Amino acid sequence: MKKIEAIIKPFKLDDVKEALSEIGIYGMTVTEVNGYGRQKGHKEIYRGAEYVVDFVPKIKIEIVVSDERAAETIDTVRNAANTGKIGDGKIFVIPVEQVIRVRTGETGTEAL
Amino acid sequence: MDKTNTNILIKKREALIEQFLSGNEPDFLEKHSLILDEYIFTVFEESITARKMTVSGNAFAIIALGGYGRKEQCIHSDIDLLILFDKAVPPEVEAFVQELLYPLWDTRFEVGYAVRNIAECLQMAFERFDVLTTILDARFICGASLIYSSFIEKFRTELSTKHLKGTLNYLFEHGEKRHFDFGDSTYLISPDLKSGFGGLRDYHTLLWYAKIKSDIKTRRDLEYYGFLSHFEYTTLVESLSDIWKIRNFLHYITKRKCDTLHFEYQADLAGLLGYRSRKRQPDVERFLGDLHTRMDFLKQIHQITFEDIFGSFRLKKDSDDSRPTKTEGLVIKKRRLYFSNTVVILQKPDLLIKIFLESGRRKIPLSIEARRVVSEFLHLVDDDLKKDRSCIKIFNKIMGLSHWEFNVLNVMLVTGILGKFIPEFTFIINKIQYNHYHLFPVDKHSIRCVQIINSFKEPGDSIMGTLYSSVLKEVRNKNILLFAALLHDIGKSDPAKEHSKTGAGIAKPIFERFGYNPTEISDAVFLIENHLVLIKTATRRDISDEETAVYLANKIVKIRLLRMLYLLTVADSQATGPKAWNEWTENLLKDLFLKTMGILKKGELASKKAQRLIDKKKNEILKFMDDPGDKNETEMLLESMSRRYLVYIPAQDIAEHIHLFRNLNDKNFIWQISKDGGSDFRTVTICGKDVPGFYSKVAGVFFLNGLDIIGSQAYSLGKDHVLDIFTIKPPKDRLFETQKWEKTEADLIQALQDDHFLDNALGRIPRTLMVSSGKTPEPNTVRIDNETSSFFTIIEVFTYDFPGLLFSVTNALYRSRTNVNVAMVATKVDQVIDIFYVKSLDNDSKIETEQELEKIKTAILMSLPQIKAKEKNNEKN
Repeated sequence: MKKIEAIIKPFKLDDVKEALSEIGIYGMTVTEVNGYGRQKGHKEIYRGAEYVVDFVPKIKIEIVVSDERAAETIDTVRNAANTGKIGDGKIFVIPVEQVIRVRTGETGTEAL
Repeated sequence: MDKTNTNILIKKREALIEQFLSGNEPDFLEKHSLILDEYIFTVFEESITARKMTVSGNAFAIIALGGYGRKEQCIHSDIDLLILFDKAVPPEVEAFVQELLYPLWDTRFEVGYAVRNIAECLQMAFERFDVLTTILDARFICGASLIYSSFIEKFRTELSTKHLKGTLNYLFEHGEKRHFDFGDSTYLISPDLKSGFGGLRDYHTLLWYAKIKSDIKTRRDLEYYGFLSHFEYTTLVESLSDIWKIRNFLHYITKRKCDTLHFEYQADLAGLLGYRSRKRQPDVERFLGDLHTRMDFLKQIHQITFEDIFGSFRLKKDSDDSRPTKTEGLVIKKRRLYFSNTVVILQKPDLLIKIFLESGRRKIPLSIEARRVVSEFLHLVDDDLKKDRSCIKIFNKIMGLSHWEFNVLNVMLVTGILGKFIPEFTFIINKIQYNHYHLFPVDKHSIRCVQIINSFKEPGDSIMGTLYSSVLKEVRNKNILLFAALLHDIGKSDPAKEHSKTGAGIAKPIFERFGYNPTEISDAVFLIENHLVLIKTATRRDISDEETAVYLANKIVKIRLLRMLYLLTVADSQATGPKAWNEWTENLLKDLFLKTMGILKKGELASKKAQRLIDKKKNEILKFMDDPGDKNETEMLLESMSRRYLVYIPAQDIAEHIHLFRNLNDKNFIWQISKDGGSDFRTVTICGKDVPGFYSKVAGVFFLNGLDIIGSQAYSLGKDHVLDIFTIKPPKDRLFETQKWEKTEADLIQALQDDHFLDNALGRIPRTLMVSSGKTPEPNTVRIDNETSSFFTIIEVFTYDFPGLLFSVTNALYRSRTNVNVAMVATKVDQVIDIFYVKSLDNDSKIETEQELEKIKTAILMSLPQIKAKEKNNEKN
């Protein structure tokens, strides 16, 4: 199993969710995160006062899928989150040792 | 160990719980306490160890403390016991504790106990507040009653002679701390039934206060000793019995002492408590609505208590005499507002509203009596009063006085007068939205919004506080904003429909009734109808795209509306709960606000005039299009084009550009060369894929082929394409003009493939330029404006014209890793002003650091030839 962790632009969340549900993936964890990366923050001026945004708001989604579905999931996320511009984000793929469903105790892909 | 007693206890308790669950046990708490008493009594009676201790002169009392002492024992409440000796504590007590408590622990009762003598107890009571309050609730169970009574007597004497003030102080401070730690329970998604604001602790505090002041024995005494009126007492009993019932069920389903009404239990509890869904409202929402009402009452109880404690510090000499206020018919007694008599209300019904203004201004609460009077005289609020100008004026002032610590609007709501004055408001009263997102019932949420906007008056010490307060300062008509905030969710009375739209419809007649002028009404209605627009755009659209801000600017049109909408959005989100508001959202929203403000202030792309112009053009463009069948597609294409382009390019040209764009297909670029009607100039229109350096390369190949650019504009076309327009002097050799264009086109293909194709051409840029203007020539100047636009760094270049100028400058920009998104190049005689809107190639946003800006400036200046005057004599000037 693989955990796919994607950092995307906030306004792309709906697109990604929709694209994933089209390939039958409904479960994911979504977190609002702040990024510090190549796409730097910026400042705005209002009435002479500077308002600095030193990080960039991003969304992190986490999905765990079976090995067979990993490639397809990654492609789907990538396509849906792509605007072709800086700051589109990154996708991390991490091997998952075990998954256990708390309620039933099922393990492995059964528990996904 | 003999388990008979424990078994009896368990059986009796189970039977009692059974009885409670079936709904036939109104006195559960007391009976539960008595069953425990019986157990303790029996064990004590049967205990040989206890008898031995008594005989040997070590008699002791067993005392119930805390909730058990008050006989308010819920299913899984702790059992707090005190084993009290007169003087010495004998070692045998250990064995007795084992007899008494081990069986309870074994059967999983939560029992806490202390073994002390009177002196220790007294010392601890006045050192530790939590010990003191448990002792206030102490109740004798069995053993030596004399020890109990002598202890209590000493405790009371010490309390009244030495510790009264300190204890009251404790009570006050602990109340404040508790509210700070637990928050307002009525407004939490998982309210704490015990410790939160509006929780049982508020009632305990009143009880403790009464016990400290007057040594009352039972809850009933609260009324007899005048701490509460009869009306208040009966409401308190009703509220308590409801909350205890909920708490008991909560203990029952969680199988432990759980006082936090977690979200996931709420639906189950609603069912257990016998709530049924009705057409418009699910059972759980009705359950929570009732609970909120109960907790609201306990909050009032808390307020009364604290006012009393506070008063007992401050107003020692306070008599029962009342003082008049500036408003005739209202008096102040013991820091509470009263009506001087009820007859006066019949004569002047506007007092029912005036009392709230007085209260808000002086920050003196209405007495409970006055609240009741208001509730009972509601029928006096008739149509005349609702339209009465002076009443409306007063109401407007009240909205501005609604603060977190002292919320007059809330009191108006609770007494029912708000609903009477604005009948439309009643439909959202106690309207709960049962989900993780909305913490508050709609009515409370709306009032909170008003209160939050008022709080922006103080900037606080955060940078965002400064922003909110400076925006609010610029809002001229704060009443409109506050009133719109109060009514922004009024559409939620009808859950089926889109509430912003419905709400605007419901609110309009209210504003009219209040006598606002047409502009004010349309502003307020706009705010309600669009109160979700900013937050939705901030979270769902690409806010780094200028078009997003332009789109919003066009929707909002007026700066004053944007300011109000921003504050309303912030207040609305803050008032919704932590899921709707955090630093993350706050930043997105601020960014969007400032960007949209930038667009609106500049007015270039989002004025009414600009909008009219574009609408007119769109119609014309469709007429210019050859093929009317593609109307929809054309409209979509026009939507995706930048506003700047639509504002500046004539309709007929746009129609031609669309044609060009359609023929681009998968080519890198396509161009069209036309002769201007009147002049001899050629216009080259290029549509291409947006790649870094595109604009510079086009300028480069023109220079390479000796084509002299006299003007140019560059725009982005949708997300991925560009449209550049060049005005070119006719080639010198007109015979072979076609061949010249063909060669240039071939060069551009090469240049786009090979990034260094134009390096040689760069070498042919002149290093010095002789200017014969007759005056001392102006030096080359580069100005950078990083404030006008939130999206682009604007670079202005002033110089004299020379062949290859545009290429030279844009190449410098490209090599400094910037992309030209918009360009306006114009030549006046030999003076040139070039304006470029650029973004960094590295992060697709404007250039932020001073060093980078300086680097770009230097690069441009280096790319320009030195300017020298032609005539020698002029050089000296």
